[in-house]
Formats: sequence, structure tokens, C-alpha cells
Amino acid sequence: MDNLVIGMAGSGGDGIVSAGESLISSAVADGYFAIMTKSFGSQIRGGESSCRVRLSTKPLHNPGGTLDVAVALNWEDFLRFGAELPVGGRTVVIYEARTGVQPGHLPLEGIAPAEAIAVPIAELAKANGGDRSKNMVVLGLIAGWFGIGRESVIAGVRRKLGKKGAEVMEGACKAFACGIDWAAAHPLAHPRVMDAPLHPAGSLLLADGNDFCAIAAIAAGCRFFGGYPITPSTEIMQRLDRELWKHGGVVLQAEDEIAGVGAAVGASYAGTKSMTATSGPGMSLKTEILGLATIAELPLVVVNVQRGGPSTGLPTKSEQADLFQACFSAHGDALRPVLAPTSVADTFPTTVEAFNLAERYQTPVVLLSDQEIAQRKEAVIPFDPAALPVESRRKPSERELDDYKRFRFTDSGISPISHPGMAGGSYLAAGIEHNEAGDPTSSGQLHERMLDKRFRKLEPLRKRRDLFVIEGDAHAPLGMISWGSTAGVCREALALAEAEGIRVKLLVPRLIFPVAEEVYHEFLVTLRAGMVVEQSYQGQLYRLLRMYVDVPPEIESMARPGGNPFLPEEIVARLRTYTLALQRRHTRPFPE
Amino acid sequence: MSTCPPETCVPIDPKAFKSDLKPIWCPGCGDYGVLAALLRALGAIGRPAHEVAFVSGIGCSSRIPGYTTAYGFNSVHGRALPIAQGIKAANPDLLVLVAGGDGDGFSIGGGHVPHAIRRNQDITYIVMDNQIYGLTKGQLSPTSRTGTKTVTSTWGSLELPVNPLMTVLGYGCGFVAQGTPSDPAGLAALIEEAIRYPGFAFVNVQSPCVTFGNAEWQAAQHKAAMKKLSDLGHDPSNRIAAMDLAQHYGADLHVGVFYRNPEPPPTYGRQLRERQAALADQAKPAAQLLDAFRVV
Repeated sequence: MDNLVIGMAGSGGDGIVSAGESLISSAVADGYFAIMTKSFGSQIRGGESSCRVRLSTKPLHNPGGTLDVAVALNWEDFLRFGAELPVGGRTVVIYEARTGVQPGHLPLEGIAPAEAIAVPIAELAKANGGDRSKNMVVLGLIAGWFGIGRESVIAGVRRKLGKKGAEVMEGACKAFACGIDWAAAHPLAHPRVMDAPLHPAGSLLLADGNDFCAIAAIAAGCRFFGGYPITPSTEIMQRLDRELWKHGGVVLQAEDEIAGVGAAVGASYAGTKSMTATSGPGMSLKTEILGLATIAELPLVVVNVQRGGPSTGLPTKSEQADLFQACFSAHGDALRPVLAPTSVADTFPTTVEAFNLAERYQTPVVLLSDQEIAQRKEAVIPFDPAALPVESRRKPSERELDDYKRFRFTDSGISPISHPGMAGGSYLAAGIEHNEAGDPTSSGQLHERMLDKRFRKLEPLRKRRDLFVIEGDAHAPLGMISWGSTAGVCREALALAEAEGIRVKLLVPRLIFPVAEEVYHEFLVTLRAGMVVEQSYQGQLYRLLRMYVDVPPEIESMARPGGNPFLPEEIVARLRTYTLALQRRHTRPFPE
Repeated sequence: MSTCPPETCVPIDPKAFKSDLKPIWCPGCGDYGVLAALLRALGAIGRPAHEVAFVSGIGCSSRIPGYTTAYGFNSVHGRALPIAQGIKAANPDLLVLVAGGDGDGFSIGGGHVPHAIRRNQDITYIVMDNQIYGLTKGQLSPTSRTGTKTVTSTWGSLELPVNPLMTVLGYGCGFVAQGTPSDPAGLAALIEEAIRYPGFAFVNVQSPCVTFGNAEWQAAQHKAAMKKLSDLGHDPSNRIAAMDLAQHYGADLHVGVFYRNPEPPPTYGRQLRERQAALADQAKPAAQLLDAFRVV
């Protein structure tokens, strides 16, 4: 077995999430690829919590579909996460015997799992390490049955609990060992053991998207962050607060979202690469100042880690429904580039790219991440951050400062930008329309020329083919377009479909806006059926593309709102129906 | 480093700070006097214009940065303070000024005032307080007196006015002064002193609107009611006495320094420089930035 998806649910005190964290750390230390997602109820402490850990010997693109192993410490909590912890015919269900449920009568709708095993988890914990070590018993069971982390879990626990004293650590180790013993005494009817990892131990990184966004910002030269805490983006500010000061930067927790972006715009005006991060509601508040950055032509990176909306919506769940907001929430004619990372690993180069675009084109750039990418833990193959190209804004030369005009009309639309402290470069930055020197104007003619300048400078972006990934059979009649975290699900679906002989290709834009018409046109022209797969109610990418590209009617929207992520197998099922439909259509002219 | 080290700065001709742009203000507007006083203060301080960043929001008075040769930022309504704080945090060596009207500072942007004060950056904030919205042609402002009739308070305002002086004193501002363009030399001296104060400094300027404001009332006030705090024997190190006097905002026109913290606490800029210096040896080269994510 080269792939294993484990889902666990319990109450707050059960330590389910910390078990998942121990499992993924030890598996990645051993050289497995892995992705872990967490999900919580809305309580600050306690309440139900769940996590999914997917392990594989090969690189992973998404948290996986139907569970191979389901762990329920109690059924109420497990069933609350129904859509996120789907049980299927191949699932081994491990559950707390104290629930009194008989293995033949699991409270699961319409499915008979491969195996159901009632384990006296609480009882085993009590006898071997105490009530609080239920999660260690569970890890022991998983290690025993599936062969993962026998040594590395203990090594990890020793590191993690070392500070808590020998007694706590010994209890945990005892509980883990008793889980392994219990599994050995009760072998699975159809034993499944995970293959050995293909990657050398200790060679992989483990990070989440918010971590990588913060560190990539430092690598890109960001030295100012202004922001306000908001789920699920806060970890970006938290990590930057730990790290950015060391690099001569500043993190300013502002009094509100507006002040956060305002301070970032001010820092950028002062010549510093700067960033703010937020989620949908904060993005709404920041919008006016984004318009200011557009007209004052100031570089700025704005991260929106999307969550379910509108308003407070589903603050802890992923959704891709802020795409329209990212592209169109500006007042007036304002075009701001929108980039979207597709995985934790991809968050790093995409964040650096966002800074490069902001600096090169002197514009705010929206980095549209989503909760899943931002908060899931993912194993990443190490790379050298120093190898990523880093750009900085074009400053005026000595000669250009002799007769300096901040908004000088140029062929590219890009004018050299000075900053306070630079002698000869003084100008008025303003939200009001201005002439080349920056002086306020109410001339319609100048307004049009300046708009033309601000749009023209972004023209080359639409030719950036490197901001798109195309995979699969280039001449395939079936195609998928997907973005953000959902793109990872489609990448897996593509591999599954190809393995079945389905001819399909996938287009993943990292550049969402402006829409690169040519790239889409070339992709769509070979297609006879397909879909745009995304996590929003309206199908916002699909609708955006229809606004700019001739999308044939055979290309459909496959969209679903947040809190209920797509599974790879659902996408493959849709592709299967398309292949059948194509074959039927193909035969249509002949019988008549 | 302080904003204006006297040992390195020598006075400059105030004209060097005046730009070629012609103000949009009405003839007789109090803001002309504020501009003249500010140019004098900047000349006396002697930092070159390109080392001055001058931020404003929206309103008649917020046009003022464009009338100077400093680096100006005429931003959006109510957000001058956050933008200025970003500038100052990014480069604490700059002399950072903020100016705006009573609407900008105490209505739409009022939420930023306490935080600018508690962050205590070495920034000078000048409010041109005319008790009216002039740019939009005569609506009620947060400092308009109760009962004021305007186009949006046809039957008279039902609200109490904000007292800018009490507000900033209450929030703990380290330097609080009030001036009037009727006393140009005094105003220039107050602005200069505010800039020299090492921390966040607030200057309220009673700047009459001759077009939409009750200019007659204000002018009468300026002449009849103007009381120099120095003449009253006020001790500007006494915050309670300052608050006592500030209660008369709207009735008496007290001019001078209400409060100057005799022991200014360290500024945000100084502390951030110290922190950056203390942590600098922990900076990692780009190639090592990912080491923290390695799991072994």
C-alpha cells in the first residue's frame, strides 16, 4: 500500500488534533509525503475536533478522498464532520468500544465499511498512562495495524513532551505500546501495511501555507507588515512578528483592517516592500485603500486567505468565493493583479511572484490563498529560496532626478519611483487624479491618459504563460480548469482518470486576473467537454472566464460552496459521464 | 535619532518649503495662516524638504501637503494617521507631519487617534478645526456646536461637539497645543515646538471657514476670547490642569501649550530600531530560511 488516508474525530480533550500532528511529523521525518487538515467546531476550547492525515510514498496534491482509516472516539463528534470524513467500502473503522455500538450497526448512512473494530480505547488509556493518553493509544493502534511510525512517533513524543517531565512522557510511551500490542492481538481481517518511504528520512520539510507565505515575504524582501488578526490568515502576522524584526523589518498590529493596509501603503511610499494579510471581511474594509495604492502607483501585496462568506460566514472553513471581490471590488477603473497559490509548496514562489509584480508594476497585488492551503500541513521537497528571482521597484537615476516627474508618461507605463529621503524626488502622492508631476487635476483628458498608463503597464502580465500549469494529454477532448486548493484535487483526479484510459487535460491558473485570454483560448479549442472546478456557490472562475473568453457551452461549471470540499473520485465520476456522453454523441449521426 | 537634531540642523529660508501650486482655499481662509506658520516652523527646524513626509486625508485643509516642497501624501478620508505611521515605522529618520480637518481627524478617522497616540511615534498632527465641512460645502462637523444649523442639520444639530483637546489629553497624548492663524508668530512657534517634541504631538488650530463656517462668531472669538495659556500662568507639565482648561473648548479660545510630558517616554521609532539591532544577528540568509521547517 503506497497511500493511506486517516480521519479522526473526537471531543476537545481527546487530543485528536495533537495525535494527527504527531503522526504527520513522524511520517514526514521517516520520508513519507503527507498532508494534514484540521477541522473544529466553533468553540474556543473544547467542542468537537477532527483531522485528516494522508500519507503516501509519492508527492501529494490534496488531502485525499474517502478514508482508508476512520477513528471515532465518539459517534456524535465523528458524524458532525460527515462531509469532511467520508467513509467508503474500503474504510477500516476504529471506534471507542464504550460507545456501545455493535460493529454491524455503525451509524453510517448507506455504507458497509471494509471492517469495523470496537477498541476499548479509554479503558486501555486509563490502565496505561492515564485518561489523557487516549490519543497515544490511537497512534499505537495505527502503528500496529498499518506499520507507520513505530519508532518515529515515540521519538517525536519524547521531543514534544520532554519538558513536561519523565512521568508524562513515560505514560505516553506506555499508552502507545499498548495500542501496538492491542493491534497485534487483534489483526485486521485483510492486513494492510504501508510501503516503506521512498524518500530518505529527515529530508522533507513540513509547513503550512501561512508559514510559507510569511517566510516567502521575507525572502522577497518584505520589511513591513501591517495588519489586524483575522481567521484564517493570522498565522502570517504571527510568524512574521517572530521573524521579520530579525531581518530589520517591522510588524505593526494595527487598530483595524483599514489602518493595517494604510500603514502598509505608507511604508511602501517610504520605499519599503510591504504587505498586509487578511480574510474576506477584512478585504472588504481594505478596499478603499487598495484604490489609493492603484492610483498612487504604490507597490503592495495584499493576502486574502479565503474562508466561507459572506460576512462572518464559515470562518474556519475553506471557500473560493472571494474571486469576484479580488478582481472587481475596486471603485473606478482599477486593475489589480490577482495571483492564487495551488498548494503549500506553491505558496512560496507565488508569494515571491506577488512581490515581484507589485514592485515591477507599482501596483497592489492580491494573493488569493484559501483556508485549506493556508492551514493544512504539507510535506514539501526542499528547495533553495535564494534561487527565486527577486525584483525591486525601478528608482530614478541621478539624471532622472534632474527633472523628476513621478508619473512621467513612458512607453511601458512604468515611471521611476522615488521615496521620502531621496533628494530631488519630492512629489505629491495622492488619491486624487494628477498630472505627470503628481499635481492634482480635474482634467478629463489627463484622467484618461493616466488610466491608460495604469492599464498599459499591466499588459505584459497577460502574456505570462509561466503563471499557468497545463497537465495531461495536450490534445485531449476532455478538460478541467481549476485553481487554488481545488486544483490539487483535480491534479489527483487527472492521474486517476488517465489510469482509467480517459483522455483529459488540466489547466491551473496561478494568475487569476487579468484574464490571459490566449492561454484559455488555446486550452479550450481542443475540448469537446469539460468543467471549471471550484469551491464557490456561483462558480466564480467559470463566470469570470465567460466574461473574457469564448467558453464553449460544453464546458460546464462544477462548483460547490465551502465546508464540503471536492473529492478526487467525484471529479473522476464526472469525467466518466463525459466520455460516455461523447461516445453517444459521436454515434448520433449514424443510426438515423 | 531625534527628528530634528539641533546640532546638525541650521535654519533654512521658509520659502524653500513653499511649492508653486496655488491653494484652492477661499480668500481669507484660516488655512493660509496655518500654511505660513508651518513653513516658518519648518524653516526654523532646518531639515531639508526631501526629508519631510507630509500626510493628509481629505478636506480643504488636507490639500496642504501639495503646497509644500516636502514629500506629500494627500491620501483618503480619515486615514492619514495610519499611512503616516507606516511611513515613520519604515523610516524613523524622516520628519513626519500629518494635517487634516476636524472631520478627517475626529469623525471618519476618529478611531485612529487613540492608537496613533498610544503608539507614540515621533509624528506631529495638526488639525485645522473649523467646525464645518467646507470642501463638501457646508455640512455639520463633529466639532460643530450643538444647535448649529447647516444643510445637513436644517433644524439645528442635536449632538454634542467632540472636544479634540480633551479627547487627546484623555488618550494620553504627550504634547497638546492649540493655536490660531490670528496669531501667526505664536502658531509658528507652537508648531515648531510640537515638531521638536520627541513623540506624538497634537496641535489643534482654530482655523475659521469664511465661506461656510460661522466665521463671524469664530473671528469674534479669536479677538475677544483669545487667552494665552502662558499669561494665565498655566504649567504645561500639569496634565490635570491642562484638562481643566481644555474643558473650555468651544467657549474660550485658549492658545498655547496645554500639556507637554516633562519626561517623554521612548518613542516607537527608537524602540523599533533597538529591537531590530538586538535581533539582527539572528537574521538568516535566504538559503537558510527553510531550515526551521525540516523535520528529523
